[in-house]
Amino acid sequence: MTKENNRFSMKTLAIAVSATVALGVAALPSLSHADETCNSPFTPLIKGQEDLVYVWTLGVEGIGDGSDKLVTVDVRPGSKTFGKIIATLSTGDRGEAHHMGFTDDRRYMWAGALDSNKIFIFDIHSNPAKPKLVKTITDFAEKTGFVGPHTFYALPGRMLIQALSNTKDHGGRTGLVVYNNDGELINTIDMPTGTFNGVYADGYGYDLGINPQQNVLLTSSFTGWNNYMMDMGKLVKDPEAMKHFGKTMAIWDAKTLKPKKVFEVPGAPLEIRWSLKEGDNWAVTAAALTGKLWVVKQDSSKEWQAYDVGTIKTESPVPLPVDISLSADGKGLWANTFLDGVTQYWDFSNPMKPKMIYKKKIASQVNMVSQSFDGKRVYFTTSLLGNWDKKGKGDEQLLKMYNWDGKKLAEVFSIDFYKEKLGRAHHMKFQAINLKELQPLQARLDGASTQNKLALTDLLSK
Amino acid sequence: MKNILLIGLATAGLLLPLAISAGTPINPTPPLGLPPLFIPEANPLTQEKIDLGRKLFMDRRLSHNNVMSCAMCHVPEQGFTSHELGAAIGLQGRSLRRNSPAMYNVGYQRSLFHEGRELHLEDQVWAPLLAKNEMNMPSIGYVVEKIKMMPEYKGRFEAAFGGEATAERIGFALASYQRAMVSGNSRFDRWYYGGEKNALNAREQRGFEVFRGKGSCIACHTVGEKHALFTDHKFYNTGHGWQRSMAPAKTTYKVQLAPGVFVDVSDEQLDDFEKPLPDVGRYEVTLDPKDRWAYKTPSLRNVAITAPYMHDGAFSTLEAVVEFYNKGGVDNPDKSPLIFPLNLTEVEKADLVAFMKTLTGDNIDALARDARRERENYPVPKQDPSDSYMESIGNSRP
Repeated sequence: MTKENNRFSMKTLAIAVSATVALGVAALPSLSHADETCNSPFTPLIKGQEDLVYVWTLGVEGIGDGSDKLVTVDVRPGSKTFGKIIATLSTGDRGEAHHMGFTDDRRYMWAGALDSNKIFIFDIHSNPAKPKLVKTITDFAEKTGFVGPHTFYALPGRMLIQALSNTKDHGGRTGLVVYNNDGELINTIDMPTGTFNGVYADGYGYDLGINPQQNVLLTSSFTGWNNYMMDMGKLVKDPEAMKHFGKTMAIWDAKTLKPKKVFEVPGAPLEIRWSLKEGDNWAVTAAALTGKLWVVKQDSSKEWQAYDVGTIKTESPVPLPVDISLSADGKGLWANTFLDGVTQYWDFSNPMKPKMIYKKKIASQVNMVSQSFDGKRVYFTTSLLGNWDKKGKGDEQLLKMYNWDGKKLAEVFSIDFYKEKLGRAHHMKFQAINLKELQPLQARLDGASTQNKLALTDLLSK
Repeated sequence: MKNILLIGLATAGLLLPLAISAGTPINPTPPLGLPPLFIPEANPLTQEKIDLGRKLFMDRRLSHNNVMSCAMCHVPEQGFTSHELGAAIGLQGRSLRRNSPAMYNVGYQRSLFHEGRELHLEDQVWAPLLAKNEMNMPSIGYVVEKIKMMPEYKGRFEAAFGGEATAERIGFALASYQRAMVSGNSRFDRWYYGGEKNALNAREQRGFEVFRGKGSCIACHTVGEKHALFTDHKFYNTGHGWQRSMAPAKTTYKVQLAPGVFVDVSDEQLDDFEKPLPDVGRYEVTLDPKDRWAYKTPSLRNVAITAPYMHDGAFSTLEAVVEFYNKGGVDNPDKSPLIFPLNLTEVEKADLVAFMKTLTGDNIDALARDARRERENYPVPKQDPSDSYMESIGNSRP
């Protein structure tokens, strides 16, 4: 977006990835993942106290201006406006606001709308407490043929976007898209389809995550526009629609962006959380429809495999675990189950045998969970998708913050987004007011051997 | 022209009044099994209108938020319906009550929509364009001005009609394209009308005997001596619509979570979500109580490739449809006397399904390819069409 970002070229992207791969774990700072660290490994982190929480909020017809908006909440302890909304920024769009992601320097935040296919780029460094909308990409669908820009993931100088659907039939076949930080389209890549290593690749997408030490990109699969835009009651009763959910995950070469292997992971595997703790080589996801927890890791022969390691159970026959958040030490996992509004905490000390050890009802429904890097503060929001949220009394729209002492959650504040005439509270991202306090890039450029440039440049540019 | 030939149309030199139509006249020759196509005098077929209609049909900008085109619900590769949805959804995911009808041979329909509320193909397009839960265009004038401001339509209406875009011409162009979606010369046609004895195997031929005999399907899905539309164009209460509205609430739904993994979900567990939309069928048009929950007999042409079935897309397979009718539908006070238990054997049901699979036209792939000649994505207008229009007239009017 700015001169500062221009320092990142395809060359530096290649160097960054190659450095990360070549240097391995020892040369990297701690790569443990809490939700703060579910950000791309190419994004600087807030390892201390977060100052602000941004909430990407869905506009609701009849609520306030009805527009999707970015809501800024002050979470600085001791601040006079602690736990209060200090800024709102309407986009003028009501296009199914969903997820956000930082650029590699954390100066800009990209936010997507799954229906209008618009991508909003916010300046969050000039005045982090009052973000500015600096660019709107309106031709995502037109230029890519994909629909539903979902995950925004920083690469050096680039944003990697996972889409959910397509413009031909609004089904689940979709792909990956690469933009540069100025918002210019660089490349599109189809999700794998057809038979792939003996597994039927459905071509669906949802989330993505890179493990730079292993040079792998992992993707998951959800469903197309037809289903994610449909009322949930109608959807559940429609046997045709229920046949069209993702059944796979795929592991890709992160440098070449070519799929290496497809796993059968039925039931719509959603959020991907890598444990990048030193020595770890696994990621976890939850399948929304079956409630299964899946761990993707290498076996003894270094072959990537997907393992069914547990089942999230609820009183509802459709468990619908939605967001998950892995603690910084990789030993604990928050998992929200949307329909009963409960969050569960799973002991992941042994990722192959996780155990649920705590649960708490957050609201009548709950979707996103974000924890601070130290895991002591946990934030929840309640909106899943505009037409999947409950109707009537069950449609609570909240941002809630809790303290976590390792044994129980204690509520600190709650903001009712309907009372504030804002809309549906969805994705959260943290920000610091003083960006100098941010930790350096996880996948550092320092010390990289320029002799080990990888082929990413060849793949990310046409 | 090549594509038009693919769908069974041939050119002829018709003299057409320029005020109605400009361009290259088309005189359709029906494929085997289909009767001559009715073409309104006011809207003679021309190549230019068909091409323009195709462009409009595929263009996602014809919805208010530029996301929905006709083809997003009538997907060319999915039988011009949607295989992935029972009842359709529209703009911003709003619920519709009914399954997207397949478009093949729509030019032969005597009424349109499942309850027959529209009578002319030229007028039909305005219902989805303006419906809030479909394409949600604010007004007719808004549609006209939006099309006028999009550069991809520059000169297209002039070439097709000799004048600029108007509401009537938009309807005429879309109707022309849809009317050209003719599909016949199925294996059944070649066997029954073309005299190809081996076009149907023994099972399929037995299925036809069930169809016109014990199954009584032919009473509504009519077959003529020279051609067959497989519909009598009438409306019947089979009990399927009645059950949805009047029968005690279904207590559980068998819901697929993953291949081979099903759970039962109760109505009570879905109480927090949208309730099914009311639908009284043909009665909504005539206001005659005898028409309650009556729906139009669909043509069976291409039925094998246009799942799911019934007006609400409730049945995934032809086997499920046959089973419904074999049981005599669902009893209710207005049920048609033509719907009664059939007592078909398992073999007869299988034969009947096999027969219905012979009704697929010989140009299905060609029609899909023909549709994809047009793009679905174009640059979205930067200015609101109503603002653009107001600006254009400025102070030129008192």
